[in-house]
Amino acid sequence: MSKEMEFKTIVAQYANVNAEDITNDMKFREDLGFTSLDFMSFLGELEDTFDVELEEENAEGVYTIGDALELLEKLS
Amino acid sequence: MREYYPLTAAQKMHHNWIIDYKTQQVSGVSVIVSLQAPLDFNVLSRCIKLEYERYGCMRIRVTKPDADGNSKQYIVKKDTREIPVRDLTYLGSLKAADDLMQKMAYETFDKDNIPLCDITLMRLPEGYNGFFIHMDHRLIDSCGLVIMVEDIIRLYTHYKFGSDFPEPLADFESVLLKDLKKASNEKRFLKDKKFWEDQLDALGEPLYSDISGPKVLEEARKKHKNKKLRSADIEMKDLHVEVKDYFLEPGPTKNLIDFCMNHNLSMTNLLLLGMRTYLSKVNNGQEDITIQNFISRRSTHDEWTSGGSRTIMFPCRTVISADTDFLDAAYEIQNVQNRIYMHSNYDPALIVDEMRKRYKTPEHTAYESCYLTYQPLPVKISSPHLKGINVHAKWFANGAATKKMYLTVSHTPDGGMNFSYHYQTAHLEEHDMELLYYYMMRILFKGIAEPDMSLGEIMEEV
Repeated sequence: MSKEMEFKTIVAQYANVNAEDITNDMKFREDLGFTSLDFMSFLGELEDTFDVELEEENAEGVYTIGDALELLEKLS
Repeated sequence: MREYYPLTAAQKMHHNWIIDYKTQQVSGVSVIVSLQAPLDFNVLSRCIKLEYERYGCMRIRVTKPDADGNSKQYIVKKDTREIPVRDLTYLGSLKAADDLMQKMAYETFDKDNIPLCDITLMRLPEGYNGFFIHMDHRLIDSCGLVIMVEDIIRLYTHYKFGSDFPEPLADFESVLLKDLKKASNEKRFLKDKKFWEDQLDALGEPLYSDISGPKVLEEARKKHKNKKLRSADIEMKDLHVEVKDYFLEPGPTKNLIDFCMNHNLSMTNLLLLGMRTYLSKVNNGQEDITIQNFISRRSTHDEWTSGGSRTIMFPCRTVISADTDFLDAAYEIQNVQNRIYMHSNYDPALIVDEMRKRYKTPEHTAYESCYLTYQPLPVKISSPHLKGINVHAKWFANGAATKKMYLTVSHTPDGGMNFSYHYQTAHLEEHDMELLYYYMMRILFKGIAEPDMSLGEIMEEV
């Protein structure tokens, strides 16, 4: 499984949608219904899955799936 | 072979209260869900039995505590008990039935290795029929209960009216295993530990703030013969609790919701701001305020539908000066809360342990007098087959509070909000709750009307 698909599979567990239906322009809050708690828990899960270090500040400016994928790429 | 699992941090929180306060009553949770209509109790009974199969958390048993007070949990494969029926129609009024069910909510599950979930079919006065659920919080939190109630209703409408069979619920045991795995991830644990300890490094020892003003801390300082004491005594014996509910109408509720939407704030953070500003006001403008806030750790679909006890409380500590604007203060709280969310896998008991170690906090004292739960999920019956039928759904307090004042804020079906204040009668009166609600509302509505007004000005004006 590609990293992008693995990432989207995790998103899908939070948003209860199919990973294949998640597009990079989707917004976490507006389109996928993430709350602040969901989003911060999700970041924790990304850390564990992809073995990256995420700080709270990293979350600023992350609105879409594409933003998060870009951040993940930068930190990997 | 039967698998035994440790309790999760959220379960341990309730378990430790049972041990500390020496009664299981502190862990009880009860709700009645009823409709003003004749219900087919044979079908409803079948649905509840099926729910025992679908919702694994209902079958949890807890072992006898060891010498250190630690217990394990296991999940029995089946619970084949019959669902009893109780007829309370003789009481004549729903109010009288509620009073009796309130007493049922005080009942305790006193043994180890026994079912910690009882469901009774209820015939109530005024034509209401439904079911009363009485459980131990180690099995379930209120979000989990709401999901369970909805599932039972969906099963009922399927068998009775042919509606779709509800989606399967997530397997409790699988989610439990995932939680335990997360909790044992050492890298994560160390990161969470560092976050909480950094907070203490940066801010030092917290300072108690009481709902009724500084006299409580002053008395604690006298009692412990320590003029610099920053924590105050908590009640360990007289746990009697009273409940005072206040209803906020749909119009003003919408104003609060709109303010949150327009400023990207969560309702929890707005409520925390209202509560902390009140505490600051009645404690001579104290800037360092801590409130215990409950977080329901349900984010993924599986976490939402697996039941279990996932609600856990963390101290929301903010040091905000009086010249901070209302909106800036709200964002400051939001930032603190967001960081807490990222580290909410941590066991909050370890934060308390760390403070006791650092500051020699005396036993049975705390830094907080107020606890908050915001429940975005109301108990609702949304099936079109039951549309238009009056519903009587009510939560019952377990009658034994481990907390001085515990506020539960929930939404009501008509678009309003209910503010339910549970307070220990050993130290507080209804009048204290009146003041708290009155000023919280004044602060919140002043703040949302003039978000650039400073907290100091708001405290002065209200």
